[in-house]
Amino acid sequence: MTTTFAAWLAALLFFCANAGAGSIEATVSTPAGKPVEDAGVVIEPVSGAVPKRHKTVTIEQRGREFIPYVTIVQTGTMVDFPNRDLVKHHVYSFSPAKLLEIKLYAGKPVQPVLFDKPGEVALGCNIHDWMEAYVLVVDSPYFARTGSDGKALIRNVPAGHYRLRVWHPRQRTAAALRDIEVGAVQTRLDLAVDVAPRILKPQPPDDSDKY
Amino acid sequence: MIWRSLQRRIVVVFVGLLVLVMALIVTLVISSNKRIVASEVTRELAVGTHVFKRLIEQNQRQLETAATVLSGDFAFREAIATQDQATVRSVIRNHGLRIGAQVMIVISPDGQLIADTQQDAAAPRSFQFPDLLASAQLAGKSSGFRQMKDDYLYQIVLVPILAPKLIAWVAMGFQVDDQWTLSLAGMTGLTVSIIRHRGPQATLLASSLVNPGRYALAQSLPGLSRDSAQELAIGEEHYQTVQIPLGQEISVVLQRSLEQAQAPFRSLQRILLIIVLAGIVLFMLGSVMLARRIVKPVNDLSAAAQRIEAGDYAQPVPKLPLDEIGQLALSFDHMRERIASREAKILRLAYEDTLTGLPNRTRFLEEFGQLPAGSSGAMVVLDIDRFALINNALGHPVGDRLLIETGARLSHITAAPNLVARLWGDEFAFWLQGADKDAANVFAQLVLTTLRDPITLDGQRLDVGGSLGIALHPHDGGDATTLLRRAELAMAVAKRRRNSFAFAADIGAEPAHENLSLIGEMREAMARQEFVLHYQPKMDLASLEITGAEALMRWQHPSRGMIPPMLFIPFAEQTGFIREITPWVLERVIEQAARWRHEGLSLVASANLSALDLLNPALVGHIRNLLKQHGLPAGHLCLEITESALMDEPELALTHLVELSSLGVKLSIDDYGSGQASLAYLKTLPVHELKIDQSFVTSVADSSKNAAIVRSTIMLSHALGLTVTAEGAESPADLSWLKCNGCDVAQGYAIARPMPADELPAWVGAFRAQSAADRAAFQFGADTR
Repeated sequence: MTTTFAAWLAALLFFCANAGAGSIEATVSTPAGKPVEDAGVVIEPVSGAVPKRHKTVTIEQRGREFIPYVTIVQTGTMVDFPNRDLVKHHVYSFSPAKLLEIKLYAGKPVQPVLFDKPGEVALGCNIHDWMEAYVLVVDSPYFARTGSDGKALIRNVPAGHYRLRVWHPRQRTAAALRDIEVGAVQTRLDLAVDVAPRILKPQPPDDSDKY
Repeated sequence: MIWRSLQRRIVVVFVGLLVLVMALIVTLVISSNKRIVASEVTRELAVGTHVFKRLIEQNQRQLETAATVLSGDFAFREAIATQDQATVRSVIRNHGLRIGAQVMIVISPDGQLIADTQQDAAAPRSFQFPDLLASAQLAGKSSGFRQMKDDYLYQIVLVPILAPKLIAWVAMGFQVDDQWTLSLAGMTGLTVSIIRHRGPQATLLASSLVNPGRYALAQSLPGLSRDSAQELAIGEEHYQTVQIPLGQEISVVLQRSLEQAQAPFRSLQRILLIIVLAGIVLFMLGSVMLARRIVKPVNDLSAAAQRIEAGDYAQPVPKLPLDEIGQLALSFDHMRERIASREAKILRLAYEDTLTGLPNRTRFLEEFGQLPAGSSGAMVVLDIDRFALINNALGHPVGDRLLIETGARLSHITAAPNLVARLWGDEFAFWLQGADKDAANVFAQLVLTTLRDPITLDGQRLDVGGSLGIALHPHDGGDATTLLRRAELAMAVAKRRRNSFAFAADIGAEPAHENLSLIGEMREAMARQEFVLHYQPKMDLASLEITGAEALMRWQHPSRGMIPPMLFIPFAEQTGFIREITPWVLERVIEQAARWRHEGLSLVASANLSALDLLNPALVGHIRNLLKQHGLPAGHLCLEITESALMDEPELALTHLVELSSLGVKLSIDDYGSGQASLAYLKTLPVHELKIDQSFVTSVADSSKNAAIVRSTIMLSHALGLTVTAEGAESPADLSWLKCNGCDVAQGYAIARPMPADELPAWVGAFRAQSAADRAAFQFGADTR
């Protein structure tokens, strides 16, 4: 909720600064037509530099879950991993895009982690196998994540030539890139991605409530 | 043959039944054991199979769990994530050791090999068991039994490495070897073998069996079908077998040895068999002993019965326990005693004279028969004089007591080895062992002396005398019958002669054989008219006239010549043939007398009547008819009757005599003196004449003793009014003695021999002429008349 709100706020700011820019509303669904949540929709300008919008993104651990499940950040973004639980967590990633390990800690780690390479980063907790989160690091500031209705809205996209990418952590195959033109008006896109169902890993009962 | 013996029969039946029952029991036990073993084996196999499957599952889950735990190890994941070949291989080796897996393989999510402990330089290639990978992708993990390149069988567990997303698969292989099968065999209680089927070929990969069973199983694999349960012979042993597929081409064979399962039953059966055999042997011994106990008394009884059968009553039947057979033996013994006593009684009755207690004739003859061969001795027969008279006059009880007393006296004077017996009636017999004529003589005197003592019965004094006949052995005969007969004949002669006793040798030879044949011939002789009558003249001693003639029978035998009546008349009397002879004689005599009378010869013709004739009721009528028929006055016929003839039935005889007398026929007592008739008795009879027996008359002139008897008889007869005729006057001296002593009539050789009837008239004529001449010569006066 907070993350969504932050994204929304960021998009609003961007929109305010670049008046006359277009937006993209994408609906992601499975080939069977079911809406897909947590899919990332990213457009990258085919040419020209992209603006850097470096700010710290938070992936918190609450109720022994990573929240949010999927986070999309621009390369060079700092991600903070605040632990809201009473138990400690051990956050790690063996993904080539970002190897990280924050050994058992409570509260806020010493410093946020810089995600400086584009790619997909799978995050886990070494002591809570079921905890998982995904960070998609992209070289573009224009991206959005679908909600439970499968819709994602990218605002304030300057008109231009873009390459569209749909991504999902449980996608069966990587969707092909495609070029789109963004104008002043809102562009509607219907996108399809084949997603494996999320298998919830076994989770022992939470005993923290017993305090 | 075997069934002849009761003992064997008992044993065979008892033991046979036991064997039958035991055989049934043993068969039942063996068959039910077999069934129990079969069902037990099936059950064990089913349980073992179930346990085996559970164990495999459990084992798999444990391996999976262990593999999952291992794959979750942070450092392991970190190492795998490095993608550094050397590091990865090193870490899987290390962790393989930790978990005990012999093979570790790391596979990329798309199925390419990342690292393999079996291969140092893993050339980029795909995982060799894509099916395992496929099922792991579906289920998150998978496992299975697979044979790897090294030909070993492995239980492979494939688990993902999550970080937290799947970054690789790790396959862990646990070698399935003999050790593995042994541990499972230990837990399931079955023989566990792993087999690979490739086409028609089956290869034994691992087994809990040891050689040689293992080798034998490998050999018998071709016979193994894929059926769920079957019996498989491995070498000598038989196994109930179940085959469970374990994976591609791989199956596990679970087996339960039937022999092992049967082993406890086998030993049970062995013990049962030993017990049964021992039982049969014991039972056999027992039934043999029992049968012996049953049969021995029966055999004893049988032996006792044979003894009794042989006539040995002395030995008692053995005492037996008082069971059923003992009761039988007891009854048997009683029976033996009764039989013995009855036989003794029968013997006594058969051999003893019940009246006198002396041996009877049978016993006498039997004991004589038992005398040693060649022994000599004397056979003596005693007949009591006048016994019939006593019996008639005083009654049978007195006669019996007389016999008892006589028997007692006789047995008193007879000591062994001599024998005494009562033959019949008043006749006794003795056997004097080793006696010669003199000794017999002495004994005869002793007997007579003994009898001479008067016997007093009911206050009546009885004077008893006896006549004895003696036959000497072997001189007078070789056998008892002959000796007895000859002694009896001698006795009869002695009685007739009043000699007290006579020796058989002294009375002439016995006409024994001739008699027997003569009896048969008499009837024929009658028909052939071989019987003729001769007449002996009777002379009146007062007038010296021939006044009568006695008809005497002669047998003109074609081969033997003339046979005197003494030799056949007694037998004719005995056989009853005399009844046919007498009528013939009477007819001839009456006819002859009538003819003589017709010719002017006045003679009284005499005929003899026997005892049987006298009792014949038709006799009187017959004589009456004959007299009438021939016109002969009754006074011309005289009938001579012996004393003894009157004794048999005195009353009937007397009746007939009275009738004859009333006819006018003259009656004469013949052979007076040889019997027991007393003059007092004769006085009561309607007789006219007494004929003195020739034994007294012959030589009467020379014997003072005979003379005294004859003289007194003549005097007594005259006193009774009887005419006296003397028979057997053989010499003129006898004739003149008789004439001088008042005898009325004489008959004998001194006058004439018997002659044919047709010669008599001429002889009488000649006699008269001679007599007249003599009378003239000797001056016999007419006054003597």
